[in-house]
Amino acid sequence: MAEILRVNMTDRTATFEEVPEKYQHLAGRGLTSTILYDEVDPTCHPLGPNNKLVFAPGLLTGSVAPTTARVSVGGKSPLTGTIKESNAGTGWGQQLAKLGIKAVVVEGHPKEEGWWGLQVTKDGAEFFEADEYAGRSLYEMAPSIFERFGDRAGMMTIGVAGEKKMTMAGLCFNDRENRPSRYSGRGGLGAVAGSKGLKFIIVDDTDGPGVEIADKDLFDQGRKKMLNALRSHDITKPKGGLNTYGTAVLVNIVNEAGGYPTRNFREGRFEKAAATSGEAIFEGNQERLGEELYNHACSPGCVIQCSNTWFDEDGEEMVSCIEYESTWSLGANCGIGDLDTIGKLIWLCNDLGIDTIEAGNVIGVAMDSGLAEFGDGETAIKWLDEDIRQGTHLGHILGQGTDFTANAFGNERSPTVKGQGMPAYEPRAIKGIGMTYAISTMGADHTSGYTIAPEILAVGGDVDQFDVDKAELVRAFQQTTAFIDMSGHCLFIAFAILDIAEGFEGLVEECNGLLGTDWTGDDVTRIGQEILDKELAFNRAAGFTAADDRVPEFMRYEPLPPHDVTWDVPDETLDAVFGEA
Amino acid sequence: MSDRMTVEVWLYGPVSRYGKEIDQDLVQDRRVEASYGQLHLRLREGSTVTDLLEHLKLPPEEKGITFINGNLAAMPGVDTDRDVELHDGDRVGISHRRSMWPFQYRFGASLDETLRDSFRERKDRGIHHAYTEPDE
Repeated sequence: MAEILRVNMTDRTATFEEVPEKYQHLAGRGLTSTILYDEVDPTCHPLGPNNKLVFAPGLLTGSVAPTTARVSVGGKSPLTGTIKESNAGTGWGQQLAKLGIKAVVVEGHPKEEGWWGLQVTKDGAEFFEADEYAGRSLYEMAPSIFERFGDRAGMMTIGVAGEKKMTMAGLCFNDRENRPSRYSGRGGLGAVAGSKGLKFIIVDDTDGPGVEIADKDLFDQGRKKMLNALRSHDITKPKGGLNTYGTAVLVNIVNEAGGYPTRNFREGRFEKAAATSGEAIFEGNQERLGEELYNHACSPGCVIQCSNTWFDEDGEEMVSCIEYESTWSLGANCGIGDLDTIGKLIWLCNDLGIDTIEAGNVIGVAMDSGLAEFGDGETAIKWLDEDIRQGTHLGHILGQGTDFTANAFGNERSPTVKGQGMPAYEPRAIKGIGMTYAISTMGADHTSGYTIAPEILAVGGDVDQFDVDKAELVRAFQQTTAFIDMSGHCLFIAFAILDIAEGFEGLVEECNGLLGTDWTGDDVTRIGQEILDKELAFNRAAGFTAADDRVPEFMRYEPLPPHDVTWDVPDETLDAVFGEA
Repeated sequence: MSDRMTVEVWLYGPVSRYGKEIDQDLVQDRRVEASYGQLHLRLREGSTVTDLLEHLKLPPEEKGITFINGNLAAMPGVDTDRDVELHDGDRVGISHRRSMWPFQYRFGASLDETLRDSFRERKDRGIHHAYTEPDE
């Protein structure tokens, strides 16, 4: 029987509770957002005693369904002030699920200074003193954790940024090689862990009960359909787009489209983009290693395998992974056009425990404010490696995120929504992603608007990307994404199941097989909307209104080259997405 | 050469190698790396994308997405760029078949008229990620 692990950091107790009936069919984002809605005062200070940090593996996480190693983490975000769900692909989530743990709820506030870890095994949960691990480089520190707890343990940790309660701090998980490189990066949840004195959650599922499956035949039928879809779609198949070039396969495309934000969103095309693309990573590695290198899985059981590794001139590993968002944020957005500098900056983000997207936004805004020239990689490295690492006054300003930095230096060009820095797509050139950023419950977030099969999107009316009113399409994206985030599947399954109907059937059958439910395609959008309703209610109670569902004002009056376009989607269209229309 | 125009061509991924093979007489300047190529070509006025591909000797089965002046003009399986006429100063971007642009990241982006018309006529209204049949 699955349980909820409740961890109180005030008195350092950890207790297992039965899962309430109403949570039985929830998991992942569905569960983190519901627990926050049920238990957390939306007006609380994110770093105070009344916020909670909730970890929940997806519904299918820990099962043999392909590409399902996601763990969701929720809390009230210190970056945005909204509800937050940020998920990561890591064996850590699978281990939690296989121990029969549906969620870990971390609450309270320590009475004294000091860092603590929690070790979770089949025998229970125990605290351990963690002061000796604090203040250290994550790459230097991580091996000592695996030495102590064993190579097969899973690690959740925070870096110095989280310890210093910086709002760009993420939560770090281990990848398959036990690198500290998989992140629930967005929204500053690392600072929430820091505020609670929580340095680690170490998980080992040895001899755990595993994941219960109600109808194995149906589950197997579903996962095989999913597997076939993932293995045959051009984007997700072996040696396909993602496996060859990683997510950075998008660099050249979005750059050519004029939607690749450059030098703090001043231009939509970067002259050096091609040298920082997925193709350049693939060819660059081939040149340095003397052989083709395809990408690897970030977590056990992934068949898409989109994680890359960048090697230095001597053929030594520099960093894994250079994602699309990271090569953009620390590249074009800062005017930096070489992969070795970008790789070093990503390594530093992983080492310090910070979100690469927010970090690149911050550096871009700082350069735009005159603190350094665009393209000055040396200064960018110094800001991370010295100022943030040591916690200088400048480091604390930068560490508080894009809006804070822009305000500190009087710059009105802050590319955020609800205080969260934008990812690598320009709203003025690609209007749909601008709508997604604006109305997402999470602040500017590129992962909140994925699509599923058209027949599902058509629920409630005709769907037409050319309609003047795009609100319905955007709403359907949000619903289906919320469901995938609950399922435990990586969002990238959406590429295959939008185009291959059998893959979508597989998703529903996997879930029904696991739970013993009889959900249909309609339930996918219904359940997705129920998750969104709780997130929207939380945000409204926290003080957010429709006026917060907007892209920054400068995008309305500053034309973006090369298309020379401004943001012109009417406010009414944005308001209609979750409005009463 | 008065009937010639200059077109800027970007080739991404493995198709960049065709930038090396194009007839020198057509090349104003070029930079061809393993992962991309940037060329300024002197083409006869009235040349189409098909003419350009023939000059490059780029096989259709290797071509993925085409952009013309930042407007999406073709995707794998939707070859609406073939007859598009190029003009002096145009920028054409061609990627390998393996590249991609999923719908949610191109929704609301600028489309070339021919592709837009083609999408309007499709039942799915152009919201799929790929338009090629999955491999067996």
